[in-house]
Amino acid sequence: MIDRLSRIYRSTVFRLSLIAAALFVASSFIVLGYIYYATVTTRLNEIDDGLEAELEEIEDLFSRGGANAVNQLAINRILSPSSPNLYLFQNGNSPATSNLEGDPIPESPKGPNETIQFVFEVRDTKTGMGSGEFHRARGRYQVLAPTTVIFVGRDVELIVTAAERVQRALLIAMLMAATLGIVSGAYVSGRFARRIDRFNRLATDIQGGDFKRRAPVTNSGDELDDLAQHLNGMLDHIDRLMSAMRYAGDSIAHDLRSPLTRLRTSLESTATQVKDPQAREALFDAADNATELLGTFESVLRIARLEAGDRRELLVNIDPQPVIDDLAELYEPSCEDARLGFISEIEAGHMIAADRGLLSQAVSNLLENAIKYTPKGGNIRLTLRKNRAGRVEINVSDDGPGIPTEQRERVKERFVRLEQSRSLPGTGLGLSLVQAVADLHRAEFSLSKSDIAKTGLKATLRFPRVRK
Amino acid sequence: MRILVVEDDEIAAEYVRKGLMEAGHVVDLAGDGELGLEMAKAADYDALVLDRMLPKRDGLSMLAAMREDGDATPVLILSALGEVDHRIEGLRAGGDDYLAKPYSFAELLARVEAIGRRSDPTAAVTKLKVGDLEMDLLARTVTRADENILLQPREFRLLECLMRNAGRVVTRTMLLEKVWDYHFDPQTNVIDVHISRLRSKIDKEFDTQLLHTVRGAGYRLQT
Repeated sequence: MIDRLSRIYRSTVFRLSLIAAALFVASSFIVLGYIYYATVTTRLNEIDDGLEAELEEIEDLFSRGGANAVNQLAINRILSPSSPNLYLFQNGNSPATSNLEGDPIPESPKGPNETIQFVFEVRDTKTGMGSGEFHRARGRYQVLAPTTVIFVGRDVELIVTAAERVQRALLIAMLMAATLGIVSGAYVSGRFARRIDRFNRLATDIQGGDFKRRAPVTNSGDELDDLAQHLNGMLDHIDRLMSAMRYAGDSIAHDLRSPLTRLRTSLESTATQVKDPQAREALFDAADNATELLGTFESVLRIARLEAGDRRELLVNIDPQPVIDDLAELYEPSCEDARLGFISEIEAGHMIAADRGLLSQAVSNLLENAIKYTPKGGNIRLTLRKNRAGRVEINVSDDGPGIPTEQRERVKERFVRLEQSRSLPGTGLGLSLVQAVADLHRAEFSLSKSDIAKTGLKATLRFPRVRK
Repeated sequence: MRILVVEDDEIAAEYVRKGLMEAGHVVDLAGDGELGLEMAKAADYDALVLDRMLPKRDGLSMLAAMREDGDATPVLILSALGEVDHRIEGLRAGGDDYLAKPYSFAELLARVEAIGRRSDPTAAVTKLKVGDLEMDLLARTVTRADENILLQPREFRLLECLMRNAGRVVTRTMLLEKVWDYHFDPQTNVIDVHISRLRSKIDKEFDTQLLHTVRGAGYRLQT
């Protein structure tokens, strides 16, 4: 499940829909901001302007008629049902003239001409007492004389509430749209990912040598169908070429190896007839060389065939333990003869998809290499185990001279032999064959620093998890 | 033995004929599948050497026709197609052994003699005997001159294979196939090492050597 989610997350379509959703959210914020500005801020500015005009008028009145005139104006305005404003007039020690419960001025650290936002208790129009209902309001005050202060305010509860409601609605709409965007993006990308997945599986199978597989065509005639049809055309062509090559390969093997074989047969049969022991030995040597030549030819063909990959159907799910046990038993005496310590740590109960013969041959090549290159008194270790990531590994480690890091990839190529090993027998095909066998098994073949000594080499075949 | 060689490459066929005759066998040649089938029907052969790629009728179809007729003559299939799946195909079609080209003549001879009618290395016997070396297949014991010889399971199978083919050459490749079930040739002398271990157990303490090395071919167990 988590795997699927992370796949969806990584898919291109899903990322695109996620970006679209993010852009939508961002632009909604801008629109929302504008609506807020256009409705609320402008309205509040108008109110502030009105309050300022009122204060200017009162200031003017104060300069002409003094405190009493202002007090009278405040009383008139408070009593007038058409005046929307809130007033508070404080003159010296006389009781304040006000339609406000409480006093917002002392709470405000702000000076004159600054808008104060505050909350007041609304008066009941019938009783003139507090109604228990609180409204938000804003106002300004003006100091008219050292002890004379007028405050004018306006109830803005309706405006602010309306603005908040619009804001909340927009926010919810935005969240809904973003969620829908992500969900539909996930759905579309999931569908798309499944189709792309089929192409990926096809490519993997074909790389593994299954040239009979074809891309699925849905008959919807869309771009992916076009791609599938083109791919299939290409695969048909590759398949034809492969068959032609295989046929040519078989024919060459049949035609070219026959004369070489005859050469060897005549050398061998002459050797058995010749009486002179020296001539006899020379003829056997010549026959041995012919055998070696044929062996090399055989190996090249074998690798070519493995790389052509027409043998994936040979793979079956097996526990490799008996296979590796047999090899340990086969090579243990050779190690002893070469004065090498041999340790095997072979775990049972793991499962890999493998061909016993090919697996044996690959590991046998690795063991023979280790025996060949490790000097007397050295050690070789063969292990079969499951690594921490849960993948089955076969390792052959030695404490011989090892291979320099920069050469480790190169030695897997055909006919590549390092300077140091030129004097030893061999064709330079052993590791190429291991690589070809590994590829067929979709296993990783790696060479690294030995894990049993400071010098030396560790060869690892790491198998993919078995599909159940 | 009377052996029929069906091979379209005349020179190769001639070499095989010559070699088998020198080894004391009577050999007939057929150049294509149709002729080969006719000859196999007409005469009673002890073994057939059959190339897979033949003109007129390929080796496997010829073999299938023979087996349909109830002809059980042992057949060694020769082919340039040495891959395991081809080998299995050949054995399924009714072949008794399969030899990939290029082969050495010694290998071919050893295998033909091993499958031939006059020998039956898989016969249901319970005791094998070569000179004073005796093997009890049921009790899984080996004695030489009545002295018990302790063998590892694999050494036992190795000796059994040699004893069943006593007097005939058994090649290294045959040993790898029959004792270890490996169908590839290791680059090193891994079989020789096992043989020398076996030899030290069955021959070292005794005056007469039973296990002989045949240069250019393999091993032979013989008094």
